[in-house]
Amino acid sequence: MMSFLADYIYYIGAFGLILVGLYIILVKHNLIKVIIGLGILDTGVNLFLISVGYITKGTAPIFSRAEIESEQMVDPVPQALVLTAIVIGIAVLALALSLAIRLYQHYGTLNLRKIREQRW
Amino acid sequence: MVNPVLLIAVPLGLAFAIPLFALFWKNAAKYIPPVALGFNLVVSLLLLPKVLENPLIVSIGGWQPPFCINLVAGPIGVFFSAIIALVGLLVSIYALDYIREGSTEKYHMLYLLLLTGATGVVLTGDIFNLFVFFEILCISSYSLVAYLGEKASIESAVKYLIQGAVGSSLLLIGIGLLYGLFGTLNMADIAEKIDSASPISLFVPMVLLITGLGVEAAIFPLNAWLPDAHSSAPSSISAILSGIAIEVGLYAVARIIFTIFGASNILLFLALLGILALLIGELCAFSQDNIKRMLAYSSIGQLGLILFALGIATSYGVTGGLFQLVSHTLSKSVLFLAAGYIIYQTGSSKISALEGMGKKMPLTCLAFTIGAFSIVGLPPFVGFPSKFLIVRAALATKETYFIVLIGLALLCTVIEGAYFFRVVQVLYFKGGESHSESKEAPFTALIPMLIFVVLIVVVGVYPKLITGVLNSAASELLNRLDYIRNVLG
Repeated sequence: MMSFLADYIYYIGAFGLILVGLYIILVKHNLIKVIIGLGILDTGVNLFLISVGYITKGTAPIFSRAEIESEQMVDPVPQALVLTAIVIGIAVLALALSLAIRLYQHYGTLNLRKIREQRW
Repeated sequence: MVNPVLLIAVPLGLAFAIPLFALFWKNAAKYIPPVALGFNLVVSLLLLPKVLENPLIVSIGGWQPPFCINLVAGPIGVFFSAIIALVGLLVSIYALDYIREGSTEKYHMLYLLLLTGATGVVLTGDIFNLFVFFEILCISSYSLVAYLGEKASIESAVKYLIQGAVGSSLLLIGIGLLYGLFGTLNMADIAEKIDSASPISLFVPMVLLITGLGVEAAIFPLNAWLPDAHSSAPSSISAILSGIAIEVGLYAVARIIFTIFGASNILLFLALLGILALLIGELCAFSQDNIKRMLAYSSIGQLGLILFALGIATSYGVTGGLFQLVSHTLSKSVLFLAAGYIIYQTGSSKISALEGMGKKMPLTCLAFTIGAFSIVGLPPFVGFPSKFLIVRAALATKETYFIVLIGLALLCTVIEGAYFFRVVQVLYFKGGESHSESKEAPFTALIPMLIFVVLIVVVGVYPKLITGVLNSAASELLNRLDYIRNVLG
């Protein structure tokens, strides 16, 4: 049991964060909380991507330093992906927050259950 | 030989140059998108004959696939980029005069970014690269939906953003799972190795990828954002969202299913979802009294029909689906463009307010009518051969469920006809003798609409113009082994 936890702790953490984020987005009524949920979801996804390429006690893959064995290098591709994903996530969150400001100016509330002008 | 990278690099560079140009001359902003998209159209049309013989694989950074990010300029990619550039060019000409309020240079920059993202999605051969271009497309469309800054547009942009962001996260998790399984992001490389993994471990990433892309592709039931977003955006953006953005999403779904997973067992389910979307979309459209919402629901229905055709997964079916995609792009764009100026003149988007507009704006209403007839599928417009191909493909399968489903689809066409004819009737045959002088849309709007109408009629009369390209596009989607061999050599 403990070894399972030790091996998969990052995956458990990542999917825990993803589930928390999804829960917040689905259940909460306040737009700011939903945006926080989006942030947590993003963090979970990023942690998941990093743990896909992670080796226990691995270090950065720097080829000019001869003392690092190639078995100890972590996979650099997921880290590059996460860099991109973080930037995209920031952009979406910034846009969401600026829309929240405008939404508040129009409706005087951030409660998404009360903002229902358009329906099917 | 033109490099396909230019199709992405030139509009991207020009998009970010727009604010700089606008510092010196504010009007420069609106002339840059037509230039960039005209360039894209020319390059795509130059490339098209060459890639029909042999797909072009462009490796970026001097590495060979699968280690580099590569572009795959096959028939489908280049054909789609030509369509995107054509529609984008016409709509950007329309927007020259239509977009007057707000900070216009931001509109034009985001518009060009949106189309760059769409072009990137159809050309890329790398699944993470696809995600990045998809995000460019999504983020710019979130902000463009909110462009007018009114109550309704902000509300629908918020809805669109939340659903889209969750979808993108799911997409990214799916990509991460695939990378964990295969250690590669190249689509051809994943496709080659896909058989080495157990079906159970592939199921989760496939569902995540389809769900994530399905939000943008408006696959039922992930399309709750669509009617709001398409109806409250500026009309030029509605045309692009309806005509380009969801089609690109659908392309990505098709690429994931056909090329990467080669999954045939999920197709019937997708066909069923498609017909459900068609039924629900058309029924909702029938009960709308807002013209842009009606058009948006009709888009849901049309997308369902395309999904159904792709789900047939025979050569006929996929060709028909792609043809329907093109015909929907042309017809729905002209409908939204015409509706934009009709609403502008009447000041109301209620259908009942359109009475007698056929006499005041004869040319705009003619464009609207032809677009409507084409969507319904009347000959000699482009909607007829595309729907005909889909019906023929469904009948050719000789499977009972496909024949039942296509029967339902034809029933939906009747509903579609009912609500489109109602609008056309209101335009021309209702309203008293109002002798107010005609207030036609300006030339910058009439010319794009006219070109759309000409294309609708010409392709409708002579479908062979594009069926050759569509056939090779369909076989590129269906023959995944050829795709793998072309990319990996």
